[in-house]
Amino acid sequence: MHLKESLLVALDTLWSHKLRSFLTLLGIIVSIWTLVAVVSLVQGVNQYVGDKIAGLGSNSVNVSQFSLDDVTDQKRFREAQKRNKPITLSEYQYLRAHATLAQAVAAEVQRQTGTTLKAGNHSMTDVVVAGDTANSVALAQFTIVAGRFLSETDESHDAPVAFIGADLATKLYPGTNPIGQQLNIDGHNFLVIGQASVMGNVFGQSQDSFVEIPIGVYRGMYGTRDSIGVNVKAPSALLLPAVTDQVRVLMRNVRHLHYADKDTFGIIGADSLMNLWHQLTGVIAGVMVGVSFVFLVVGGIVIMNIMLAAVTERTREVGIRKALGARRKDILSQFLVESAVLSTVGGAMGIGLAYGFTLVAGAVTPLPFSLPWLAVLAAFVISTSVGLFFGIYPAQKAAKLDPITALRAET
Amino acid sequence: MATTPLVAAPVSDSLAAAPGKDVVIQTRDLWKIYQMGTEQVAALRGVSIEIHRNEYVAIMGPSGSGKSTLMNLIGCLDSPTKGQYWLNHQLVSELDDDALAHIRNHEIGFVFQTFNLLARATALHNVELPLVYAGVAAAQRADRALEALRKVDLVDRKLHRPNELSGGQRQRVAIARALINNPSILLADEPTGNLDSTTSNDIMALMDKLWDLGNTIVLVTHEPDISEFAHRVIYIRDGQVARDEVTKRGRERSGQTPLSARGQAEPTRGRPGA
Repeated sequence: MHLKESLLVALDTLWSHKLRSFLTLLGIIVSIWTLVAVVSLVQGVNQYVGDKIAGLGSNSVNVSQFSLDDVTDQKRFREAQKRNKPITLSEYQYLRAHATLAQAVAAEVQRQTGTTLKAGNHSMTDVVVAGDTANSVALAQFTIVAGRFLSETDESHDAPVAFIGADLATKLYPGTNPIGQQLNIDGHNFLVIGQASVMGNVFGQSQDSFVEIPIGVYRGMYGTRDSIGVNVKAPSALLLPAVTDQVRVLMRNVRHLHYADKDTFGIIGADSLMNLWHQLTGVIAGVMVGVSFVFLVVGGIVIMNIMLAAVTERTREVGIRKALGARRKDILSQFLVESAVLSTVGGAMGIGLAYGFTLVAGAVTPLPFSLPWLAVLAAFVISTSVGLFFGIYPAQKAAKLDPITALRAET
Repeated sequence: MATTPLVAAPVSDSLAAAPGKDVVIQTRDLWKIYQMGTEQVAALRGVSIEIHRNEYVAIMGPSGSGKSTLMNLIGCLDSPTKGQYWLNHQLVSELDDDALAHIRNHEIGFVFQTFNLLARATALHNVELPLVYAGVAAAQRADRALEALRKVDLVDRKLHRPNELSGGQRQRVAIARALINNPSILLADEPTGNLDSTTSNDIMALMDKLWDLGNTIVLVTHEPDISEFAHRVIYIRDGQVARDEVTKRGRERSGQTPLSARGQAEPTRGRPGA
């Protein structure tokens, strides 16, 4: 009953001072907006990355010189640089021979920066040039759309043949069939023997800008110092842990590591990628939440200030109400409701803006954007609480006013 | 400052001597002392008065006499430093804030010189405000407020805001508000202070009508013209009762009994006892 009276007074007050209310609420609006937008963003990106990583092949792991942990900070990286050795071709061959649980073991070595590819009048730079074993096709995410992949014969004879990604077909051989044509990679000539299907973008990076050549040819061109990556595919997701373990044991074995020694190599799987991702976004999200919290406190202090001014402005009104029978708690609840309504409206506006943001972002990026209802609920609760908390002091001031003195005030 | 020796006003002079009428306001030796820095200032120095049901009493005095302080005490807006105050046989001089608020809501109807209406509320909402704090449901409130506006002849203005009403109309809204909860007393503080003479007469005529309906009216004023409308005047000076006498009107009316007692109009306002 009193609550409804307070609610109506609160809404009326808010509406009759629109500009002042809006300025008061800026802090709350911005903080809730960032809070909800960040949560939506993080959720959307996680979803996207999760999908993409799953698409990268959740049943395989990659053995390389460094693990993901090794690259997460400077100190670890320097330690790892001293400790870890590049994977060698013979280690790959060892794994291939002994990883009995795996479905396929393939080797790959690649570079991207500084590469130049030419075909006729067309050229491309910074293309991924990869030296692969013939069985790499078993782990590939693409399908063969024309021609064929590298064969065992190509591999054993170091044949100068190339398998191109979809981007190369469109950019270097527009309008013609690339199969059978010449391709110049960093000064060496190759014959195009096959083309991959389109794979799309990951974070705006095209996955179709690559060329694969036999690993022996690559090492002949670029030397043998680049670290080889060994890709191991498990027959099923269920067997992946077992396969990973076997690979680790084999690597430690071939490198004669003692029981207590750390790995001098890294094994990267889809879940470790997800973990890394969560770590990174966790930090970003944490920072954003911290920022919005600061705005929240600022917004709350602004509300408190405005409510203090309102109490002073309406001293006479409080006196009248008290003379008519309002008790302290009636006045207290009236002003508390007002500040709560104020901040909740601000929160609602912030949520509205965040919703608009997700609509725009969803249209402009490939990320799936939605407004998680839990975040909306939390935003409402948070904004209302801020209003209540920062409104207590002014409300108490109003409640304690002496009716006689209050009635003599200006307003 | 020399204090004038006082004789307690003979209560038998007032209209209240009629047998069977009960006492609504009784104060015994009321004192109000304010602390001003290091000084102590006594605004009231032992005031003892008695006001019976359906009396029409004016409290008069120059500024600084303590009449405002006495009014605040009678209206339960403040508590005395010393002494006792019974309102409707209930000792209210020692009640806490919340209890006083309750008393103000149910027993006192205030009418102020500056009207003191809520500027952003309609006449109807202003009138029903005491009922909001009394916890009355919305539908009932609206009905009763409408009824009160009818009594002061302002139903057609019920949705107007105070700034859309004339001074006289505002005061009538304030009077309707004062009556809405059937209070024991109507306490008017310079009710015509902000009004011109014609409107003042209208308002005082309305007060007469309210007295006729059985209300107990306490009028605080410094204007002799206005105090003459009452039936009895209590003069306050230097914080004490200087005189307590029946007015001309009071003498004219002493032979008459008000409409309500004749049983010809609405039943007596106010509740007997606590």
